[in-house]
Amino acid sequence: MRFKAQIQNISTFTKLTASLNSLGPLAWVKLSEEQVCFTIIPEQGTQVWAVLSIDAIFETISVQSAANNVINLEVPLISLNRALKSALNATSAQIRLTKKDNMPMLALTIVTTTSSNSYSAFPTAGPNNDDGFDAPFDNAFGGNRETVVTQEIPVRVLPPDTVANLHEPQTREPDVHIILPPLMQLKSISDRFTKLALADTKSGPGTTASRTRLEVAANMHGCLKMSIKTDAMSISSVWTDLSNPELDPAQISGGVTGLADHPSTRMKQLGSADGRSEEGWATVRIDGRDWGKVMSVGRLGGRVIACFCHEHALILYVYLPNDNGDDESVLTVRVRFLTLDTRAEADISTVLRQFVQRMMQDQVVYRLSANHE
Amino acid sequence: MVVLNFTLTPEAASKVHDLLVCLGKFSETVAIEARRERFTFTALNSSKSAYCAVTLDGKQFFRQYECIPDAGGTDGRFSCSMYTRALLSVFKGRLYDPLGRDGAVERCEVSLQDQDNEAYCRFIIKMVCNQGVTKTYKLTYEAVDVMHALFDRSVAQNRWSMHSGATREYIEYFGTKTELLDIFTGEDGRCVFKSYTEKISDGKEILKHPLVTAVAVNTSDFEYFNVQAGLHIVISVKDFKAIVLHADTLKTSLKAYYSQPTRPLQFSYGCDGLVAEFTLMTSGDYTGAPPTPTPAPQQHTATPQQSRQASHSPSAASERTDMRSMRSEMPPPVQPASRRDQNGRLRNPGSRQPSSAPSQSQTVPPQAEPEDEESLFVPHNDTRMQEEEDAAWAPMDYDKEETLGWDASADHDAAVFPTFRDSGSMSRTTTTDSNMVIEPTQRLSEITGLW
Repeated sequence: MRFKAQIQNISTFTKLTASLNSLGPLAWVKLSEEQVCFTIIPEQGTQVWAVLSIDAIFETISVQSAANNVINLEVPLISLNRALKSALNATSAQIRLTKKDNMPMLALTIVTTTSSNSYSAFPTAGPNNDDGFDAPFDNAFGGNRETVVTQEIPVRVLPPDTVANLHEPQTREPDVHIILPPLMQLKSISDRFTKLALADTKSGPGTTASRTRLEVAANMHGCLKMSIKTDAMSISSVWTDLSNPELDPAQISGGVTGLADHPSTRMKQLGSADGRSEEGWATVRIDGRDWGKVMSVGRLGGRVIACFCHEHALILYVYLPNDNGDDESVLTVRVRFLTLDTRAEADISTVLRQFVQRMMQDQVVYRLSANHE
Repeated sequence: MVVLNFTLTPEAASKVHDLLVCLGKFSETVAIEARRERFTFTALNSSKSAYCAVTLDGKQFFRQYECIPDAGGTDGRFSCSMYTRALLSVFKGRLYDPLGRDGAVERCEVSLQDQDNEAYCRFIIKMVCNQGVTKTYKLTYEAVDVMHALFDRSVAQNRWSMHSGATREYIEYFGTKTELLDIFTGEDGRCVFKSYTEKISDGKEILKHPLVTAVAVNTSDFEYFNVQAGLHIVISVKDFKAIVLHADTLKTSLKAYYSQPTRPLQFSYGCDGLVAEFTLMTSGDYTGAPPTPTPAPQQHTATPQQSRQASHSPSAASERTDMRSMRSEMPPPVQPASRRDQNGRLRNPGSRQPSSAPSQSQTVPPQAEPEDEESLFVPHNDTRMQEEEDAAWAPMDYDKEETLGWDASADHDAAVFPTFRDSGSMSRTTTTDSNMVIEPTQRLSEITGLW
């Protein structure tokens, strides 16, 4: 079993591992000479299925194994990220699978040519630099220092049969697909919502997940709505003028007729571009804290398309910025959605409690109509 | 009656802050020893494996310095012990403001109130600021005898010296949770700094094993390098980081002196009347080094050191066993220098000196690292910027106490820039210690990249 690669795009690789690390501590990394897959399947939370073309992060790669030249590893992301961070200013970085004391590990070898400027540009007693011609001076006296840093990341090699049954789950065609606004903006608003919800119902009933339930909805007219409701408040933010990318008929089963029958085509008939209409929204409910973690993929800086399956699933496709447009690397992030049952239960109790409270306060009779929402 | 008065420039006061931050990483109390010519801060960690002494020269470091001890003539001294935290709350960060803005400190006057006719003994520190403001702090102290670890440089033949900026770069590669640092001198003209942790366990735990980081440095990158090849010497990574970070605040060269594993190692650096010395316990593979040390082949500079080492080395193997037996009946460390030879060991000085400072006894809990006050500010530095960005993208920690409500306390220090807290960086703003006063010393216009 051999794996060796020259890392080309250290910054992207570092950001990728940092984003993944927010979503889970361990990643299943599937290495082959065609592509690299990073998968996170936590017991609870958000799944990530990332498929990267080799040239997105590696320059040269060689993978050899008895199982069709595929190597499956379990990698602690925090260590990998930490190791990669030290390579940010490297002149070259190489990663390979080795064994030490019979323990498998990924060894990252980083060569940095320390610009001696970083410390000798301000010598304690050095009048040498005031004319700005310090480069020859540095080269003559200890410039071009080459330092080799080796970072050893402990890993576990996964036998092929343990991962053979893991496949990306299939979901139905999405009702709405939309390009998300800048994730930093989205994150700061959703973080605030979640914080408020937690502060408001510290002593309230239900699990934390039901308390920080964030409702995210989008329509086919460029609107995204994020809202949170608790006993005491209901807040929502609406983004408008976002874009719903056109589907390519060639990518859809049934071609042009398939596109006409596509759920998103039907959703286009409903709703409006100002986001005020009640119709045409595809809604999912997610845990605000999960969402906060998901937003961490924003650091990759790529385009993010959210696909909403109404009351069913939310999938984010994060495209890594790439020079050549055709062979893009994609991160598929499946946000954990809250199931209908716990939601309904929480809702009814909330409505009831609100009702009783208001009755006591206002001495006004309200009509209780508790459907599922 | 002791007289102790001195005045510090703002630059010097800020250096006192830096050194207290460093010593605070070793112990929660710092001992002070004032003599006629010099002033020393010392700290000993709770496991007594690290001893730090920072000596300030009376003439060079201070603007004015006067110390007349009680008795003892030229060797007389005044010594006491204080909480590092208490001193740090007086010697805050950023005391030195090169722009001399409003409220900047002009000088710092320290005097000791130790008279018989006074009700209290206090350390009085006056910060004289511009615009006629004077801040006076009175600190309590505990009179103690100060313990010193002794280190004999003449037996420490292995020496190197390197600019602190370079070592600072190396420690940044180290993983966060590692414990030990192995300094290894290879035969190939390289010196390897390896940070690691002793094995925890097997199985699933393997993946929790911290990173092992090895930084291989050409010995030609050292300013001076003369170490026996094949020698492994192991110290604590945390201590090394604390030392390097402090040395880097002075932009000076860090010098190391050591003989062999299990014997103490000393780091030393200094400039402008400040000399810092750290004596650390070492471990390491005794047998790893060649039994008869070869006179190091790859030296770049021929110095008197080399010849000394050569003459010393043939007897090293036999000498080692001698020293081991000698250690068990070693005399108390406070002895004339002539008798200290080869016994500067620091394993457990407390047991040999019953008069050791009570405040430095084994029961002192390990000191948590003091908060980095700088982290409140948006740095101009690239790596810091990177960290800022990372923090902004990181998932928020909702368990941290941050509630939105009425603040009736009229204490608005924690919310200098309320807009900060609303723009996604709140998890960081709330981590600041509530009893720490935060002054608005950075203008909004200096900040880029947050919005």
